[in-house]
Amino acid sequence: MRLWKLFLFDLRFQWKHGLYFVYFLVCMVYIGGLSIVPEAYLDNTLLLLTFSDPSALGLILAGGILLLERDQGVFENLFVTPVKTLEYILAKCFSLSCLSLTVAFAIHLSSTGWPVSLVQFVLAIVLTSSFFTLIGLAAAIRSRSINSFLLLSQLYSLIFILPVLDYLNLFTTSLFAVLPVQGTLMLLEGTSHPLTISDFLYAVCILLIWIGLAVWWVYSLLQRSVRTQDGDEKHV
Amino acid sequence: MIKVQELNYTYPGQDSPVLNGLNFDIQQGEVFGFLGPSGAGKSTTQNILIGKLKQYSGSAVVLDQEVKSVGSEYFERVGVAFEFPNFYNRFTALENLRHFGSLYRKRCSDPMDLLQQVGLIEAAHMKVADFSKGMKMRLNYCRAVQNNPDVLFLDEPTSGLDPVNADMLKKLIKQRKNAGTTIILTTHNMQAAEQLCDRVAFVVNGVIKIIDSPKNLMLRRGQRKVRIEYQMQEGKKTSEFPLTDIGDNTEFLSIIRSHPIVTIHSLEATLDQIFMDVTGESLV
Repeated sequence: MRLWKLFLFDLRFQWKHGLYFVYFLVCMVYIGGLSIVPEAYLDNTLLLLTFSDPSALGLILAGGILLLERDQGVFENLFVTPVKTLEYILAKCFSLSCLSLTVAFAIHLSSTGWPVSLVQFVLAIVLTSSFFTLIGLAAAIRSRSINSFLLLSQLYSLIFILPVLDYLNLFTTSLFAVLPVQGTLMLLEGTSHPLTISDFLYAVCILLIWIGLAVWWVYSLLQRSVRTQDGDEKHV
Repeated sequence: MIKVQELNYTYPGQDSPVLNGLNFDIQQGEVFGFLGPSGAGKSTTQNILIGKLKQYSGSAVVLDQEVKSVGSEYFERVGVAFEFPNFYNRFTALENLRHFGSLYRKRCSDPMDLLQQVGLIEAAHMKVADFSKGMKMRLNYCRAVQNNPDVLFLDEPTSGLDPVNADMLKKLIKQRKNAGTTIILTTHNMQAAEQLCDRVAFVVNGVIKIIDSPKNLMLRRGQRKVRIEYQMQEGKKTSEFPLTDIGDNTEFLSIIRSHPIVTIHSLEATLDQIFMDVTGESLV
């Protein structure tokens, strides 16, 4: 199956470019930092840390990987094979979700142990990682340099992380309910106390809806810039 | 195999067209060369035929499909070697070929056999980052043919190759042709075009000026003469004689009988000369 082969190749690509080594070091820093956080703040700190890094690592990494592939000039060759644009996108989402899950488990197991709801924890990480991977891909496709990518990816992601303000009791509005990170925060909170069925369904559905929109966006960007070269998008 | 009619193309945001009503067809098993100066429209034509440029007018049919509407399945039967041989640099040659080969549904050639054919078997486990340009070009060819395509697009396939490897690659291309593969060659290398192509098209300013076999072009545009360089006591001397009734030309016969011959050439045109005549540009 081509998607499976692309997924495995992406894992090897990430390994060969040292991403796993870097994240091993990052994990060590997080684990060390969490060990000195007072017990009273540990749950909140862990939730925010889990959201900001393992869940959202795809934002920078996916874009970085796409920029690396572009620098190596392999796109042109990749898209004159039967590979489908959607397969390319999904392989990136799945492979980076694996890294996100590994890092998230490493941090949690070493600080608070197994999450109460394993399903909610895994869904929170995988769905959020996939969403931010897609945002990272879109930002990278539309960028011509590392600097513009960093700027664009932060701009794109800024609006989505606003529900964190609500979590920190700084600001709230009912509009946050339509943002995917609202679902992420609910699922992550639910790892320490189970969610109601309706809350669980809402959290998963809002993430899936946004993932669907992001897939469509990245797909059309890639189709117009890589698969064909006269689609009025910048050529990758 | 390939049929192009009234093909026009203008890049988005530009006023003037790059291609102006191209017409040609390419038969199965033919090696067809696109020759012309940079910016003439050769690469645009190739990019239309491989489905990367869709907003053309006219018709471009490859493998019985209008290229405008082909999907990714089209590439099961098509191979492309771009001018710049780009690979995953941190992967070995073998890993690169295996990865690209794994993307086809059909069974691909054994990568080790292909590396053997192009003299890269010893470098199979070397990272591509450590390859020279010539090695990458040979690997580029392997990648393009590993799915045994019915139609093969080669852009400057001998660029960066030393004469031995260029000759080896030309032999492999001829073998492909003999096996029935249709090959579209885009090149500035007139020698490669002359040796490989059944027919060539000179593209200038988005128009095909001439389509013919290299042999016909060279004969038709050359002089029906022979130039002979021979040794005299006072030094070398050169004379030209018409080919017509040359066996009865007493002066010619006298020279070849009574003087050591240094060189003797018929004066058909070279493709380089034809290129310069047709395009008005010199080859660099």
